[in-house]
Amino acid sequence: MSRLLSFVLVAGLASVPLWLRDFYVLHVLITTGIFIIAAMSLNLLLGFTGQLSLGHVAFFGIGAYTSALVSLGFEIHVLPDVTVGLAPKPVWFAMVTGIVVAGLTGYAIGKLSFRVRGAYFVIVSISFAEVVRLVAVNWVELTQGPMALNNIPALTLGIGPIELSFLRKPSFYLLVLAAMVVCYIIIMRLVNSRAGRAMIALRENESLAMSVGIDVTRYLVIATIVSAAMAGMAGALYTHYIRIVDPDIFLFIYTVTMVIMVITGGKGTLTGPLVGGALFGILPEVLRAMAIRPEVQWIIYGVLMVLVVYFLPEGIVPAIKRSLAGWKRRPIDAL
Amino acid sequence: MDQLLQHLLNATVLGGTYALLGIGLTLIFGIMRVVNFTHGELYAFGAYCMYLLVMSLNVNFFLAFFLAVALGAALGGAIEILLLNRLRGADIDTTMLVMIGAWIVMQNAEQLTWSGIALSINSPFPADPLVVGPVSVSWNRIYVFAVAIVLIGATYYFVNRTRLGKAMRATFQDRDTAALMGIQINRIHTATFALGSSLAAAAGALLGPVFVVTPTMGDLAASKAFAIVILGGLGNVVGATVGGFILAFAEEIGAGYISSGYRDAMGFVLIILILLMRPTGLFAQKERIG
Amino acid sequence: MKKIATLAAAGLLAGSAFSGAVAQETIKIGVTQPLTGAFAASGNYVAQGAKIAEDEINKAGGVLGKQIQLIIEDNKSNPTEAVSTVEKLIQKDKVPVLIGAWSSTLTLAVMPKLEEYQVPMIVETSSSGKITTSGNPYIFRISPTSEMEAKAFQPLVSKMGIKKANFLYTNNDFGIGSGAEYSKMLKANGVEIGVMETMDPKATDFSAQLAKIKATGGDTLFVTTAVEQLTLILKQAEEQQLKVKIVSCGGSNSPDQLIEQAGAAANGSFHTAFFPPWFPEVTKNPDVAKRYMNEWKKRGHNVGGLTEGFRGYDGVFVAVAAIKAAGKADPEAIRKALWGVTVKGIYGDIHFTKQGPAGKESGQNLPVVYLVTIDNGKVVRTKF
Repeated sequence: MSRLLSFVLVAGLASVPLWLRDFYVLHVLITTGIFIIAAMSLNLLLGFTGQLSLGHVAFFGIGAYTSALVSLGFEIHVLPDVTVGLAPKPVWFAMVTGIVVAGLTGYAIGKLSFRVRGAYFVIVSISFAEVVRLVAVNWVELTQGPMALNNIPALTLGIGPIELSFLRKPSFYLLVLAAMVVCYIIIMRLVNSRAGRAMIALRENESLAMSVGIDVTRYLVIATIVSAAMAGMAGALYTHYIRIVDPDIFLFIYTVTMVIMVITGGKGTLTGPLVGGALFGILPEVLRAMAIRPEVQWIIYGVLMVLVVYFLPEGIVPAIKRSLAGWKRRPIDAL
Repeated sequence: MDQLLQHLLNATVLGGTYALLGIGLTLIFGIMRVVNFTHGELYAFGAYCMYLLVMSLNVNFFLAFFLAVALGAALGGAIEILLLNRLRGADIDTTMLVMIGAWIVMQNAEQLTWSGIALSINSPFPADPLVVGPVSVSWNRIYVFAVAIVLIGATYYFVNRTRLGKAMRATFQDRDTAALMGIQINRIHTATFALGSSLAAAAGALLGPVFVVTPTMGDLAASKAFAIVILGGLGNVVGATVGGFILAFAEEIGAGYISSGYRDAMGFVLIILILLMRPTGLFAQKERIG
Repeated sequence: MKKIATLAAAGLLAGSAFSGAVAQETIKIGVTQPLTGAFAASGNYVAQGAKIAEDEINKAGGVLGKQIQLIIEDNKSNPTEAVSTVEKLIQKDKVPVLIGAWSSTLTLAVMPKLEEYQVPMIVETSSSGKITTSGNPYIFRISPTSEMEAKAFQPLVSKMGIKKANFLYTNNDFGIGSGAEYSKMLKANGVEIGVMETMDPKATDFSAQLAKIKATGGDTLFVTTAVEQLTLILKQAEEQQLKVKIVSCGGSNSPDQLIEQAGAAANGSFHTAFFPPWFPEVTKNPDVAKRYMNEWKKRGHNVGGLTEGFRGYDGVFVAVAAIKAAGKADPEAIRKALWGVTVKGIYGDIHFTKQGPAGKESGQNLPVVYLVTIDNGKVVRTKF
């Protein structure tokens, strides 16, 4: 996408709170935006390195819980009479901690799970997410388990005498938009760098990549750290917007949603998750407004998903690229 | 000691059904490399078929079982032909997404038809359990265990000793050569998916009367099936059988002696531990990379 | 041609005027329930009960001269969706009052939004204590907390001769809360606590937990979960020859469904209920209960759902009473009015007491709790 086009698009999106008075639509845009960020991070693993990670929601949830716990403060017993505690910290600090912890978890998981590949990796990633969920459910002293952490503070930033509060929707929308743009740029830079080319090499043919001396595991781990940190950021944004977190954040349906966004949009493309995310993030709300039975809404959602993938197996964005290329008779590769 | 015996008995009976779930999926996920998210739905479908046949249409309990399995095979075949055929060359995650869509549609169709209320299926077995000294087990579960063992044996025989089974294994090891040898690739794909699905439906038809039937019943069953497939090694029928029993024992002993809160995590913890030590599962060959 | 055009135009004008007039005539009440997903069975029962109330009220003339209109949204048993439904109901449909959201997790998830938009919500099912103690003045709960339920059970402990109790509950806020409150109450009454076993909300096999419980030698087993798992627990307890008194708590236990599905295994078990449809004459307002039950059966709804549908029924009546007292369909006026309402409902005489941190209290009703026994395939009042 040309620089001008992307700038116009971002500016247009940024102007939305100025003219859109409907807070419900703004809410839908915010939650869709948060899931698009998570989808972009999944795309890094799924699309660019070719590893089908179905446990991605674990990083999302770890970012959410970490940020919530640091902003609320906590106290746990590591031994029967030894407690470790943390006083509540400012929300921005909590969110950064969430990102860091998620990234570190990505590093650990990356090192461990990339000893296996393909189908095994899929299952290990699911198992990991499930174990994290069960820890969140059962380690009640830290996470409150299913009783949920509520009254999570909203983000406020104090710069000198100015204080910005992100409690109200328009400001939070802009925050999410900013985060999305930042993530997009990071991924774009990463993919176009040497590390990125190594990742694509390993996606296309891992043994060949290894044979020319590319340290496959190292690049996979880099991708996982960035991917996990980004998912963690999405989780932190989520938790300070919804302002409650419980083990339901690890629901498999969230991973499914991210996967849908990435694959229908076009995995391995930069704008794929954006298109897929916009489509399948907004679709459920459109269906909801149509006053059809809830089960039928789900069925339509599922059918549409199957149709998109069936007719455009590579995703929407590559299909658009192809038709545009045919139309303009030159390759477009910056999408 | 009594408690331990009861745990072991529970685990053995449970293991049979887990194994049944596992071998169905190991054929599809392991051999066909389809991340089959509809496996749980075929399990639920088998149970709902039993409900429809036994409770609404008053069909004989045992005949209904055969019909449910046959219907499961038919549904599996239909899914393969309609959805997977065209995507034959596509990536694993593209087919996975189609399976996810089918999963969503099937589960909500079940809720649309029967609502979310739990349904129970009457079985002809006596309600009182069989008591042998300090341990007891219900007749229904003994029946389930027996049928599961028979089905597992039959599947093993079919896959490893018949020509069709050999054709299946050949197709998924090297499709092009198999095609050159005259094997009808499309039919093999359909048959394999139908076979795996019929086993899932069988598990559901067996367990429907033991438990209750709900639209979401397949989700937990599917996640255990995936765990078993990995434990046993992709595509390995014997491995999946052993994996099923291992999972059942781990759950029973873990829940009985460690913590029931983590019972359903046992499978996942086991997987992670085993895969870290033996990256290809307990039995399978090394997975080709690239 | 011209004649048709004029007729058509007249028709359109009349139609729009009519629909405009009709649109002005309804007062909207938002309802958010899990209609799909894990809690679909219960959510649909509550919605059915609410619709019965809606029709009954509208037949009697509505409120403030207008008909009421329930706008029921599906929160898909998912907290993010719950928030979306509340956003839609408040922002798009402009409802002045809500009923929801069934489970405690879903209710907790929407609470920040209620405070942000300053719209009150009537909580019809959730049992977590946190809901009314978090300092949210927009919450008005008509269902009991686990603590209240356990307290109501207290006088029965000695009557039932409970000496050593075990627990088996589902590993979510509902089960954990109930287990915690009941064990606290039992301990305070001199009962020995054996083991406190948990189960995953989706699990179907409890053989491990039951074998462990059997080995402790306790005389009573307290179970808290929804009816699907309860059915299986009763059956499997029978299979494992667990011969103890089984008491189910929490009110999501539907004894009718247990009888139908667990058969003989259900005999001899005890259940707490917040509404006993088998003998409505003992409730505080039997005529209300009977009206609700007759209409439920007339509509052909599953009899097993009577014990959950009434929550939606009462919720709507409370909302309407507050609207009437407020004199207008305005969220703040309704919120203030809720503090003063008394409704003769199936939960009992519903009114709200203050609970939670001073200055930001939530409203909590004090419903009646009943104990019933399943005896020979029938539900009876527990006799001592």
